Amino acid sequence: MLEKEVIQSVGFRNIKENGEITGFQLKVRLPYYRGIFLSQLRPGTLQVDDMRFEREDLIWNINGRDHTYEDLKSDMESHWAVTDPAVIKVKLKGGLKQGFHDITLGFCFTSSYMPPIMQDAMDPDKENEIFMPEFGHHVNKRRLIIV
Amino acid sequence: MYHYDRKGPKRGIALYSYSAEFGISKNLEDCFEDMYDMGAHGLEILANTHIENYPYPTNEWVDKWFALLDKYEIVPVEYGHWIDSRVLGSRELTTEESYAMLARDIRLANRLGFTVMRTKMPVISGDLEPVKNWREIIKMALPLAEENNVRMCPEIHAPSNLDSKMVNDYVEFIEQTGTKYFGLNIDFGVFRNVFPPDEKRQKGFVGSKPEEIIPLLPYVYCCHAKFNNMNDDFEETTIPYKEVVDILKEHNWDGYMVSEYEGRDKYDPGYEVGQVLRKQHIMLKRYLGD
Repeated sequence: MLEKEVIQSVGFRNIKENGEITGFQLKVRLPYYRGIFLSQLRPGTLQVDDMRFEREDLIWNINGRDHTYEDLKSDMESHWAVTDPAVIKVKLKGGLKQGFHDITLGFCFTSSYMPPIMQDAMDPDKENEIFMPEFGHHVNKRRLIIV
Repeated sequence: MYHYDRKGPKRGIALYSYSAEFGISKNLEDCFEDMYDMGAHGLEILANTHIENYPYPTNEWVDKWFALLDKYEIVPVEYGHWIDSRVLGSRELTTEESYAMLARDIRLANRLGFTVMRTKMPVISGDLEPVKNWREIIKMALPLAEENNVRMCPEIHAPSNLDSKMVNDYVEFIEQTGTKYFGLNIDFGVFRNVFPPDEKRQKGFVGSKPEEIIPLLPYVYCCHAKFNNMNDDFEETTIPYKEVVDILKEHNWDGYMVSEYEGRDKYDPGYEVGQVLRKQHIMLKRYLGD
């Protein structure tokens, strides 16, 4: 089961590779009423405290596979389910320091059954003019702790 | 597999109704148990939501699926899916690529026991007009749909109503091809005739009269029992439900009305959509004599 918040509290930690901390990760759920093919995803930026990570800096791990921003664009075969969180991985030497972190993440997704005019203007880092709960917010924030 | 022998209009649930709770506080079995409590035997799922590892579920999951359907006396009725022909940001899918996506869903619907598909076409306008090549895509899929015994049904949903070019185009297609494998899903929201003053009404929308469904009934393979407001006397206050259900009964329409709740309040903390579905099913039981 998932937390109702889009940014999950479980899964937020530093990534250790060969005994060294090389970055950090966090998990997000898809706040939509149906899953999406990865090419529908429109990743935005991640802000952690005063650090900004561009969409090209983020690895989206979905169903156990890593995807770069470029990979996602053309992948209409892999599917992200509403019941499985995506893991977002970020390279950062030494990782995040112990304590509280303010996280802001932007992402959204397209839907072929919505009029194209409503789709073209979508910005993952900005809320839609009209909020529709079944599509969730584009920008999600949470304050979480690294141990 | 469980069989439900009742003839005429029957009660069911569209699991879309649970969209605020599914995967957070309820899993598939919880939803099925809620249906069992209501004696609702017909099921609509959304393929992209409720099938684990969609579009390639494992055989183990499919075995579990049928075991759960049996346990809770559920008939798999309608398989909700999308022809996502704008799935790529860079270009539209070709007719052949759209067909390939549709064919995958036809086979999967059949594998899971469904006989009707709610086929959502990509739209090109604010009036929900479908893509220009919908006829080519559907025509290409008709033989496979027949082979797999599934009926592809676009949903007629407000702000469209029954007296519309869209419905006429679909009916013309059905009559010209003579097919039994493409039809309609009517969402009862098209009959809505009460709009609270504080609610934004879809611009220009005028609800259809219940009797307008009569000439369409031979092509209607499933209905969405949309509701907006159930009061504590178990009446729906915005759609003339009794008239609609009476028409379906009188004309011996044999199919499922699957409840669909899309009120925004279902996303409120603590909201249990099952409770409002239960209210509606008390109403439907009374109207059906079920």
